[in-house]
Amino acid sequence: MPEPDDESAPVFSSWKRLYAAVVAYLFLLILLFYCFTVTFNHPR
Amino acid sequence: MRFLDWVVLVGTLATIVSYGLWKGRGSGTVASYLLANRTMPWWAMGLSIMATQASAITFIGTTGQSYADGMRFVQFYFGLPLAMVILSAIVVPAYRNARVYTAYEFLERRFDGKTRTLTSIVFLVQRGLGVGMTLYAPSVVLSILLGWPEHQTILVMGALVISYTVAGGIKAVTWTDVQQMSILFVGIIVSLTSAVVLLPHGVSVGDALYLAGTSGKLNAVDLSFDWQSRYNLWSGLIGGMFLALSYFGCDQSQVQRYLTGKSVRHSRISLIFNAVLKVPMQFFILLTGALVFVFFLFAQPPMLFHRAERERVERLPEYGEVGARYEQAFAARRAAAQALLEKRDPVSQERYLAAAQQLEAARADGKALAERTSGQQYNDTNYIFLTFVTRYLPAGLVGLILAAVFAAAMSASSGELNSLATATVIDLYRRHVRRDAADRHYVRVSRAATAFWGLYAMGFATFGHRLGSLIEAVNLVGSLFYGSMLGVFVLAFWVKRATGTSACLGLLTGLATVLWINFHSNISFLWYNVIGCVVAVTVGTLLGQRQEPSRA
Repeated sequence: MPEPDDESAPVFSSWKRLYAAVVAYLFLLILLFYCFTVTFNHPR
Repeated sequence: MRFLDWVVLVGTLATIVSYGLWKGRGSGTVASYLLANRTMPWWAMGLSIMATQASAITFIGTTGQSYADGMRFVQFYFGLPLAMVILSAIVVPAYRNARVYTAYEFLERRFDGKTRTLTSIVFLVQRGLGVGMTLYAPSVVLSILLGWPEHQTILVMGALVISYTVAGGIKAVTWTDVQQMSILFVGIIVSLTSAVVLLPHGVSVGDALYLAGTSGKLNAVDLSFDWQSRYNLWSGLIGGMFLALSYFGCDQSQVQRYLTGKSVRHSRISLIFNAVLKVPMQFFILLTGALVFVFFLFAQPPMLFHRAERERVERLPEYGEVGARYEQAFAARRAAAQALLEKRDPVSQERYLAAAQQLEAARADGKALAERTSGQQYNDTNYIFLTFVTRYLPAGLVGLILAAVFAAAMSASSGELNSLATATVIDLYRRHVRRDAADRHYVRVSRAATAFWGLYAMGFATFGHRLGSLIEAVNLVGSLFYGSMLGVFVLAFWVKRATGTSACLGLLTGLATVLWINFHSNISFLWYNVIGCVVAVTVGTLLGQRQEPSRA
């Protein structure tokens, strides 16, 4: 018997929104790391 | 190691093992022993997934890598959150609803028995080679630091892991993973804090970042595209996503973690938990390595971080000149770093970089001397961080960091042993040898299989040093297999026309292609996962079409 698949996401009210938030979070992290690199990394 | 360090180390390890044995009691059925009766909460699974992936070398090698090569390794993890989203949305409900014990059992439902058996055997070969390395690599490092013979370190780690994994099955593995990951988190925080606190008087965190950046260590994101560059944004996002899809979606050592969840929801959240935490965690581990580099701008690092090699080289008559040049070069670099902090102008920067190059040249001479007189390649990346820890951290914290390294090694290998036993028993023994035995019989066989794989891993690790360059080949094995394995699962989930035979042929063709590329090109290994998957899917789709055109 299939398990119930319609249980709600813990935040953002739906799984689709939660997944979108995770992807947005990833790109925010990459942006922050990029700013970190541009600000601090200057070997020459 | 001082008395307090031993107390912390032994106390931590004893607590982990006792807790694992206690939590694992009552695992008397196959469902309980291999899947914890599907009762695990999301946070325990999430930490277990993280702990299984984080080996000891992940911790000590990553900081060393940042020291030597900068922070660009963080890009390796950029594809992981994307993979977690895909797995959470599609794969988790499919596996859970199929009520399977292994990922390969799912393939039999979709294709046939031979696809299940072939993929399970590929997993056993690949992970079987890997589990030996999981014990061997940290044992080499810890043996040198603790002054123990390698086989003793392997025996201690192996015996501890086997004891609770055999006795308690996946419940023991998961709950000890929770503890081990918590210790690892504490270890990371302590390491990062120590690297900041131990900076010389007058050198702020801002100064440290300036010096690390001038030395090219803060290269966290590289936007340039190059097939041969191991770590850039694109190889991390695309290649890293394929690698993470393969590892977390097709490797039983990870799949089994989230099959134990209370519900689909709990299993999904455990993956999202990793998607959120993993990248920042790796960033801070790498930042620790960069700060350790700055620390060693002011405190003289050993010319060779591998203690036994250093002591051997220091006894050589040629060492005198090389050692003196290294000390002079270090003094010049320290003065140049100090001047750079005071002036922060292009001239000081040029002088600092020139001095840093001189020091690197002197260290390269030392490495060359070690290689020439030993006849073996010299690489001390894995010893850098623990040299910092054992020389400069106060009593108690050294024991804590070493406990974190032991914990990382134990959590990674216990998950691997448990999954190897599961695939052996469920996919091979119960499927091909004895189909209708009592539940208790399969639990006994599972325990025996866990012990077998544990002893095998210890044997592999004990004789690891005799394998020479084969060890490097073993490290590469995962990348050679993963993409093609992922291809078979892509066929299972999305390509209706694919058949068992076409999927098997796709898998074998993908493996052959990646092997050929490995030996005949300079393409970075992260792309192997993409190539293996694309080849397996293409071949599986085309041959499936040919065999069953009516289904197209």
